[in-house]
Formats: sequence, structure tokens, C-alpha cells
Amino acid sequence: MLSLWPLLAALVSLSISSYAKSSTGDSVLVVLDPSLQRDNFSIFFKGLEANGYDLTFRAPKDVQPAVIQDDHAEFSHVILFAPEAKSPCYSQDITPQSLVTLLEKGTNLLVALSTKQTPLTSLAAEFSLILPPAGTPLVSHFPERDTPSTVVPVNVSVNPVVPSSLPPVWFSGTPFAFGNNPLLVPILNASPESFAADSDRDSGADAVYDAAEKGGEGFWAGSSLGLVAGFQTLGGARATWVGGIELFSDEYAEKTIGGIKSGNEPFAADVASWTFQESNVLRIESVAHHRVNETLPRETYTINDHVTFSAQVSKYNPETSAWEPYSGISDLQLEFTMLDPHIRTSLIPVPGEPGKYSVTFRVPDRHGVFKFVLDYKRKGWNFLESTTVVPVVPPRHDEYPRFLSPAWPYYAGAISTSIGFLVFSALWLTGDNQEQKKSKSAKSE
Amino acid sequence: MPFAYQLPSDVSPATVANTSSLLRIIALALISGAAIASRLFAVINFESIIHEFDPWFNYRATKVIAEKGFYEFWNWFDPTAWYPLGRVVGGTIYPGLMATSGVIYSLLHAINLPVDIRNICVLLAPGFSALTAWSTYMFTKELKDESAGLLAAVFIGIVPGYISRSVAGSYDNEAIAIFLLMFTFFCWIKALKIGSAFYGSLAALFYFYMVAAWGGYAFITNMIPLHAFALILMGRFSSRLYVAYSSWYAIGTLSSMQVPFVGFQPVRTSEHMAALGVFGLLQIIAFAELVRTHVSSKQFQSLLYASVVGMGITGALAIIGLTYKGWIAPWTGRFYSLWDTGYAKKYIPIIASVSEHQPTAWPSFFMDLQLLIFLFPAGVIMCFRQLRDEHVFVIIYAVVASYFAGVMVRLMLTLTPVVCVTAAVAFSSLLDTYIDPAEPDVLEDDSNTGQDAPTSGTSTAVSTSSPAPSLKKAKKAAAAAPPAGPLDGLVSTVTAAVSSSKKAGKPRGVFGLDTRIAVLINALGMLFFFVMHCTYVTSTAYSSPSVVLASTNPDGSQHIIDDFREAYYWLRQNTPETAVVMSWWDYGYQIAGMADRPTLVDNNTWNNTHIATVGKAMSSSEEVAYPILRKHDVDYVLIIFGGLLGYSGDDINKFLWMVRIAQGVWPDEIQEPNYFTPKGEYRVDEAASSTMKNSLMYKMSYYRFAELFGGNQAVDRVRGQQMPKVGPTLDYLDEAFTSENWIVRIYQVKKDDPLGRDLKTANAFAQGKKRKRSKPQVRRKAVS
Amino acid sequence: MAGPKSTTSSASSNAVRSLLRAYNENTSSRLKFIDAFLLFLMLSGIIQFVYCILVTNFPFNAFLAGFGSCVGQFVLTASLRSQVNPVNRAEFKDVSPERAFADFALGSIVLHFFVYNFLG
Repeated sequence: MLSLWPLLAALVSLSISSYAKSSTGDSVLVVLDPSLQRDNFSIFFKGLEANGYDLTFRAPKDVQPAVIQDDHAEFSHVILFAPEAKSPCYSQDITPQSLVTLLEKGTNLLVALSTKQTPLTSLAAEFSLILPPAGTPLVSHFPERDTPSTVVPVNVSVNPVVPSSLPPVWFSGTPFAFGNNPLLVPILNASPESFAADSDRDSGADAVYDAAEKGGEGFWAGSSLGLVAGFQTLGGARATWVGGIELFSDEYAEKTIGGIKSGNEPFAADVASWTFQESNVLRIESVAHHRVNETLPRETYTINDHVTFSAQVSKYNPETSAWEPYSGISDLQLEFTMLDPHIRTSLIPVPGEPGKYSVTFRVPDRHGVFKFVLDYKRKGWNFLESTTVVPVVPPRHDEYPRFLSPAWPYYAGAISTSIGFLVFSALWLTGDNQEQKKSKSAKSE
Repeated sequence: MPFAYQLPSDVSPATVANTSSLLRIIALALISGAAIASRLFAVINFESIIHEFDPWFNYRATKVIAEKGFYEFWNWFDPTAWYPLGRVVGGTIYPGLMATSGVIYSLLHAINLPVDIRNICVLLAPGFSALTAWSTYMFTKELKDESAGLLAAVFIGIVPGYISRSVAGSYDNEAIAIFLLMFTFFCWIKALKIGSAFYGSLAALFYFYMVAAWGGYAFITNMIPLHAFALILMGRFSSRLYVAYSSWYAIGTLSSMQVPFVGFQPVRTSEHMAALGVFGLLQIIAFAELVRTHVSSKQFQSLLYASVVGMGITGALAIIGLTYKGWIAPWTGRFYSLWDTGYAKKYIPIIASVSEHQPTAWPSFFMDLQLLIFLFPAGVIMCFRQLRDEHVFVIIYAVVASYFAGVMVRLMLTLTPVVCVTAAVAFSSLLDTYIDPAEPDVLEDDSNTGQDAPTSGTSTAVSTSSPAPSLKKAKKAAAAAPPAGPLDGLVSTVTAAVSSSKKAGKPRGVFGLDTRIAVLINALGMLFFFVMHCTYVTSTAYSSPSVVLASTNPDGSQHIIDDFREAYYWLRQNTPETAVVMSWWDYGYQIAGMADRPTLVDNNTWNNTHIATVGKAMSSSEEVAYPILRKHDVDYVLIIFGGLLGYSGDDINKFLWMVRIAQGVWPDEIQEPNYFTPKGEYRVDEAASSTMKNSLMYKMSYYRFAELFGGNQAVDRVRGQQMPKVGPTLDYLDEAFTSENWIVRIYQVKKDDPLGRDLKTANAFAQGKKRKRSKPQVRRKAVS
Repeated sequence: MAGPKSTTSSASSNAVRSLLRAYNENTSSRLKFIDAFLLFLMLSGIIQFVYCILVTNFPFNAFLAGFGSCVGQFVLTASLRSQVNPVNRAEFKDVSPERAFADFALGSIVLHFFVYNFLG
């Protein structure tokens, strides 16, 4: 009897354990190179399954299950753990060109690289990641440890994806430098003392430095190198590039550093949850525009009108797998644009209405076809974009101010002329007979 | 006196009058029928469709009246034209044409005749041409008599110079403007003759209608003051002139300002200052005349005269001063380029690039007017003979219109009415001479009269001897000679030259019935040839809708080339309703009318910078053009390419104008010499300059063109050059549609690359090309 | 130098006086009635013009309408005067005085219609 309760408790706790679902779907395809053992990554994969994802495994060479079938993406997410596979081992649907197409279709991607030159190297260049020459892994002699210098513990710096309170993470693999694509989201940067070299003995260090000095090979070193980088595409899909696959391995997850357990397990879980659109996911529910004292939108606005624009924004909550109104954006901007923004103002969250942002402004004194443009791009979050086209017309011919006071002399002049004309005609017509009689009498004489 | 043939003597004058008026009515009805019928070639050969480019916009505007009413039309803001600037249509058009169609539409619908608005628009011009014929008849009747009037009506009814702008389907302002022009002039002449304020007000009302209808109203605004001024200089100031001109000017100017597009121009621009100046001058002269009648003192008279002249000069100086200061606007570019013909090419290339604005070539005078063009000077000389006030008007009109017609092809239209009127006067005088049965009495000196027998009919009308009744007229004219004026010397020499053959007392005339028949048959033959010519020219040259092209197959049957409508309807049915289309401004109205999509620039050409932006996009490389296209939200780009068919009105032929207009706004980015070969040739084949080959227009025109020829050498039929085997590639545009004969090509603008790359490198990657290895970015100082 | 000037000025003042005298004697009362109306219109027009220059010309359309109504009515009345004046009978063969007044009335109505349309 007593032993039942712990069992029940265990069952119950299992069921209410963190059960986060993605906002875009649960099906995951894991393309695992045959040389790698699935069991080496069991902690990572079990964590994913516990979160509710359906994992399907396949080798790079396999044609089934296909990622894209009949121009339709079959899986919501793809994990590509084939860092050393050469191009003959790739089936048609995961060539680099197809992977770009996959991203355009909204499938999220988690890719692991290695120090070898593979087709993934050329694909990484498309994401503006600059890889070092082949065979130059990340090397760091600090901190002092008993692992080889290519196995490096890295502190998690501040980044939008993973909390920086995590313990250091074990990493081994290739670093990469960042190009200037603003869509890149650095997640894990290398430690300042690390660099990329083709041997872990310092005897060749001078050669590397000299080569860099002469401007030949370039110098991959320092904390500007990235080890794990995310990429937010304009279409909404996310791609994460990891410099080495060992970061996800069970061995690194259980390794200790300075007495405490490494942060690999929670780090990998957080990276996966960001890549699979669980965290930091926003969307615009609706936008509305109307004149200040009205509620319904109009087809056209007149110049110098006062217009209120409001947007409803919600954030995805992975725990309840629902979209909840979110008022936490403090720098949402609205642009009222015709070729160039004529008005640029901030959309302020409305107190008392969660998720609603609103602003009231005066339409410029210029007629034309304007757009309400909402364009919110921040690193680590997906992008909010909304465009509403609305014509702005000049006032109608009877909407201009009338009966102006400076014009009264003119009104008086015109009215007096009309009255004068009427009086004159009346007098002329009544006086007509007299004249005729006079002239007739004059003639007769 | 003897008669060449007998006139019936038992007919009462009342019967003659009634019969002649009945015949005139029948003749006018037949003339109207002929005028309408000869304009229907396009409708019968093709279909009832709006032609050309500008009429499509007028048609759209008229549809707004028909569907939404006049109030909406008056305030119509069109957000689909000149995207994204929009166009305030209510304030930037001449609404007369649309309002006329709207009224006719409402009237017909009120009496339960549901005529479609398109048919009203297509057939409005022929209907009004009948009215033009009638008003020309009325005008010429004032000059000479009813028979000249009928001839003038016939001439203007079928003359090609007027038909070209008023054929069925040509729904443009000139359709009603020429009727209003002639009727306003008729009212003016009538007002002047009678001295009635009623006709003056009527002239003002029709002038207002003309201002509402056509931008060429400035012609009337300057003709009538010029006429009044000439009369004043000739010493012919009279109270009738004062009454007619003042009532016309006061009511006409005030009413013309009601049209929003005209606004305050009548008091602020140089084109209207002549009318104001003559008005002021007339007031001063009338006042001086009035005072003169009360005062006899010579000294005071001379003082008054001096003060009048002084006031006149002060007024003129005031106007010049205000113009100099800028309060009165100087002559606008459109009118200034009529005086300084080289001005437009340098400063306003848009005006210079319109084909209608080129100078007139000599053959087009004959093609448009045939025998009227050489009767025209004869008629003007005849006006010198009579030289009443209305003849002065016709002389001035003839001189001014001849100048303008020589400057711009488009202004042939304003020359045509005066040519018809004067030619009718000349021809009618000829006919009068030879139909008149009176033969002169035979005197002792037979030889003199015999020498003057005329040989051929027409162009030597000046030297024909005048018949006996006109001798009396000439004497009367000499007796009522105009009082002294500056032009009088010239006038008297001309009349002396004309009547030099006359000697007092010597009878002149035409003997015999055979002479009369010979000349009359000749004259009728010329008229017959005139009709044949007009009909031929109308049916071949001026009746093509230009939306549909026609050519003949080898077996003689007609082959219709309908590419334009095919492409426009593809746009209409396959693109979202808010898709923005960029094309050169020629096609804007047609795209708006037939495809119903927002356009970037159209034929209104009111914003030169916007047109220059389109020109820059067309003539720059893809990388430079793409940001411009995205900034303007362009979804589709439409071009015309005639290289496959040999259609020479395509965009590559217009390309240099695009370059020039863009160069006017961005002289450091676009330079015209870059588009020519080093030798200065305009080539599109291998030898084309690299700027030319990389320009968007070139790439869009010749994209996949070489593939058509299946391995053989591709030939561009219009330029007559051979195209390279490998055609251009496009990275930023996708081909969306090409019409059957490759005349219209539509391209879709690609959206942003999802990875944020520029589309050229994205395309290269998609085709499997390797990117160049790059290095990490250099840091300027050590990172701590 | 002073001499000729004074003679001309005195001559002109004499001439003005003689002009006024001639005017008073030769014009019928109907014509004088028209002239009074003309004078009223001229004053009204001058007042509006002076106001426009000195104070403000906004709104310009109201100024044009008011001034235009004075000017238009003035010329129509002046036309009526010349048509009714028996001195000018030879000029206006087709326009009897009754017809002249009808023309005047019609023209004035059309003028006032446009004035009120433009005024507002």
C-alpha cells in the first residue's frame, strides 16, 4: 500500500513534467550519419521525446522518409547530424540547395558541422558564417584541465536564446566567424583565449599568426568567434548551426567541470526549443485603424485627420501550447510611409488591455497612397511584419472652410451688386413708360 | 441685260425663300449624315472600342460619372494612378468631355434607353462632328452667305485634318472642343455684328464650356483680344465692339475660373494677360469716346488723347512689371515651346518626345486638306476685299493658325476650321460667278472683256474678273472706307491690288452657257476628287484603333494582331487586384483601363521626377533597379518588344528618351553616351556597350529571344541587327507572361531572399556555383 | 515756366467744368440714372480692390468673385447705356432698347450665378 504512493507520485510527476510543444508542429526528422551511434546522444533525444516531439531517424543516403515530397514539407523540423558525410552520401532532398528550399517552406533546421570540408561548409557560407580552413578545430589552453586542448569548456555569455546562468558547456569542433548578415543570432561565442589551429601544439602558432598578419588565411581567434549560432530567416523558419556534434553527446552532458556538472544537457535542450519555435515566438493577431472618434476603419482618410492605429501581439507559451497576449515589447514602432516614412512613432502597450499596442497621430498634410508599416526585428525573436495600404485624399470640395470672416467685404460687395441690379431693373422698367411717352410726344411735335 | 440661261419668272420670292431654306435643311442633314458615316470606319472594320491611349483615361473617368455620379467624380482621387503618389483627378482634368457623356448617359437612361457607357463614349465624337459642321455653317454664313456656309459645312464634315481626332473611338477632348471653338467664334462674330450683350453672354457661356473641355482654350483667349486689338488699331472702335467684348470677357473669365484645373490662371498667367489688357484698353477708349462727345475744345481733346495713351502704356508696363516680379507667371513650357521651338528638347524632354509635338512635314498639309490648302490663300485675299469686322477676324485666325500648324503636327487641328471657312468662301465666290446667269452688256471695247475670260477654276481666283453686280458692291465698299488708322495704308494697297483690274464704268462678266458649264463641271470634278481623297485617307490612315494592329496575310486576308489586349487581360485575370505594374508612361492609361491595375506612371506626365525614376530603373543594371522597384512596391514590369514582328513602336526604340529623361534628374548616374558604342552607334547586338547590355530594358527585351531561333542566328527585325547566341540572364525578375507575337512581355519582381542575401548570389548558389572564400572581418584594435 | 503750366491747369479745370456742364445739359435723366448705378458699382469695386491690396487677399476666390461681379455688372450696364443712348441708334440697328434691356438682364443673371458659385 505505502509503496503504491511513490509509484503514483512518480507517474503523476512524469505526466506533468515540462511538456513543451512547438508552435509549428511536432514531427522531427533526424538525419543521423551511420558512423554515429544513436545511443551516444540518448540524453538529448530522450529529452526531445519527453517534450512531445515525434522523432524519425534516417541516414543521409536514405531516400525515405523524404523531407520534401511533392513540393510539400513532410516534417516540421529537421536535425542534421551528419557532419562528416561527403556529398555522395547525401540523398537528393538534403542537398544544400534543397535545404534552403526547406527553410523557405518553414521547416526549422538544426545542423552540426565538423572540421572536415563537406557540402555543409558551402551551405554555411550562404548563412554568412565564415568557416576556418579544413582541419583547424577550436583550440584553447585555458582553463587548465586534463582534457585535450581541443575539448574546451566555454562559458555561456549573454544571448537572447539561452540563459547565461547555465554552467559552462563542453565543446569540441570548428568555430566560425560571423559575416555581417543581421539575421544571425550568436548563441555561444568562443572564449577569448581560444583560436582555431591545425594542431594543439603551440609550435605552429607563429606560423598561423604570421599567415594572418600577411593577410592570407585570416585569423580565427577570440570571443568574436561563434560556436553555436542561430539564424532567423525572413520567412519565419529558424536554423541553428553548431560547430561540433559532441556538444549533444551523453559524454559531454555528464562530464563535470570544476566539480559541477556541465551545462550541456540544459543548453542543448534550450537550443533545440529555440530552433523548434517554442521560445521567443511572437505573432501579430490583428491590426486595426480608425479615426479617433470612430470605431470602424475607413476606406480612405483625409489629410490632417487624427487616426488611431492598434496592433494585437501575442507570444507563444510552450507550457500551455497556446498564444497568449504579450505586452512586453517596449520598442514597437509604427511607420506611416509613402516611399519614405512620413511618420515614425512608437506603439505603446495599452495599460489594462494585454497584448494591445496603440498610437494616435495626425495624418500628414500630403495626399497619396500611404502604408501603415509595422516592422519589428530583434535578435533571437521572430519578426513581426505588417503592411496595411490606405489612400489619403485631399478634402472634398465642400469640406473646405466656408464663410470666412476676412472675406466679408467681398460677400458684401457681391450682395450689394445683386441688390443694386434688382433695384435698378425695377426702377428702369417702371420708369420706362414715362420716357416713351415723353419721346413720343416729342416726336409728334 | 441678257441672261445666259433663263430663270423661271413665275415663282414668288416667298416660294424661293421657303424652297431654299428647305434645301438648306436637307443639305445640312445630309452633311451631318456624311460626317457621322465617314467616322465609323474603325467601328465597322474592327469593333466599338476606345482607341489610342488618352481616350482610355477619359473613358475611365466617364465610367466614374456613370457609376458613382457627378459628385464623386468631382472629388475623385485615383489611388491606382501614379502609385504611390495618387492623382487628384477632380482637380487636374478638363471635365467637359466626361460631363457631356455623363449628361447624355443620364438623359438616355431617363428615357429608358439603356445605352452602354462605352458606346456613348465611342460615338460621341461623330455626333459632335455633325454639330461642328452646323456651327461652321453658321459662322461662314456671317462671313458671306448661306451657300458658302453649306460648302464650309461639307468641307469640315469630311476633311481628314479634323477626322483624325474625331473618329469613332477617339474619345478625346478635341471631339467636342472643335465644335465649341467654332460655335464660340460664331457667337463672338454675331455679337460683334449686332452689338448685342446676349450673344456676348452666349459666347461667354460656350467659352466656359470650351475651357471646361480642352486645354487649347487659350487659343480663343488670345484670338478674340487679338481681333479686338486689330480692330482698334484699324480705327474701327465702335460701341458694338465694346458691348461684345466686355460682356464676353467679364462673364467668360469669371466662369472660366470655375473649372478647378484652371483656377486663378486667368489673372495670374501670361497667356491670359492679353485678354485683360485689351479689356482695360477698351474701357479707356470707350470712356475717352464718351467724354469726347461732350467736349469740343481741341486742347482738351489732345490732353485727353495723351492721357489715354499714357494710361494704356502704364497698364502695359504694370503687367510687364508684375510678370517680371513673378506675381504673374510667365508663359508655361507647353506654350512657350510654340515660340521657341528648340526650348523643349533642351529643358523639357517629355514635351519634345511626344510624336504629336514634332514639326509638321509638308506632305501632311496636302494629306489632311487636299484642295482646301490652295483655296485657303484665295479665300483670305477675298476677305481682304470685303474687310468687314468679321473678315479681319478670319484673316488674323488664318495667319496665326498657319504659324502654329507649321510648328506642331497636333495643331493642324486648329488650322482646319479656318481653312475650311476660307476655302468655302473662295469656292463659293467662284460658283457664284459662274452660276449667276447675268451676262454683261456688250460695249464698243469688246477686246478687254474677252481677255478676262477665265481659263481654269480654282487657284487663280484672285485674277478672275468680278461680275457686274459686284462692281456696285466695290463702289459701296470704297465709299464706306474705314476711317484713318495705322493699318489702313496696307489695307488700301491690298484692296487696290485686288481690284486693279477694275476700271470705273467698264462692265465685266462671263459670256455664254458653255463657259459656265465648263468651269462648273471642272469645279464639281475637283469637289468629287476631294471627297474621294478624304474617304480614302480616312479609311486607310486615320481609322486604326492602335490597340489592335492589322496586317495582311500573303493570301490577302486580314491578320489581326491582338497582343496588347491579350497581355492586359492576362494581367487582369492572373494577378492580385492590388499588384502594381511598372511600364513606360505611354501605356499607363491602357493598363489602367483594360487591365485595371495600379500603374506607376501614365500619359498624364505631370510628375517628371516619377517618370525619371521609372526611366532610371529601366536603364540601370538589375542591382541598381531592384531597390527602386521594391521601394515603389512594384510587382510586375511590362515592356513592349517589337523585334520578332517588326513592330517599330517598341520600348527599345523609345529607350533613348528614357535615358534622357532619367539623365535630366540624375546626370551623374545616367549618361546618354554610355549607351552608344564607342563609335557613336546605337546597337543592340554583340557590339552594344556594356551599360546597354546590362540595362534592365535590354535584358527584359531580349531574355530568351535567342532561343526562338532554334540554334540559328537570332535577328531583331526592327533594328535589323543580329543578336548574340547567348542571351541575357535575369536574377531579380522572373518572366511572367509573353504575348503571342512577343510584343508585350511581363516580368514579375522577385521578393527578398529568405536568407537575406542579394538575389544574384542567391541565384548563383541555387545553380550550384561555389562562393568565393571569405575571411573574417578585420578588427581595428585588440579585443580585450 | 510757371506760366504755361498755370494756363494748362486753369485750362484743364475750365475744361473739366465745361465738361460737367455739357454733361448735365446733354444727358437725359435715364442715362443719368444709369450713370449713378455705374458710379456706385465703381466705388464698390474700388473699395474691394483697396481692401484686397491693403489688408489681405485671402480668400482669393472671394475677392475675384466680388470684384468680378462689380466689374461685370459695370460693363453690362455701360453696354446698356450705349445701346439705349439715342445718339447710337445708327450703330445698333438690330437691338431695340427693349432688347437691350433683356440682354442686360440675361447677362446679369448669368454673371450673378457664376459669382455666387465662385464666392463660397
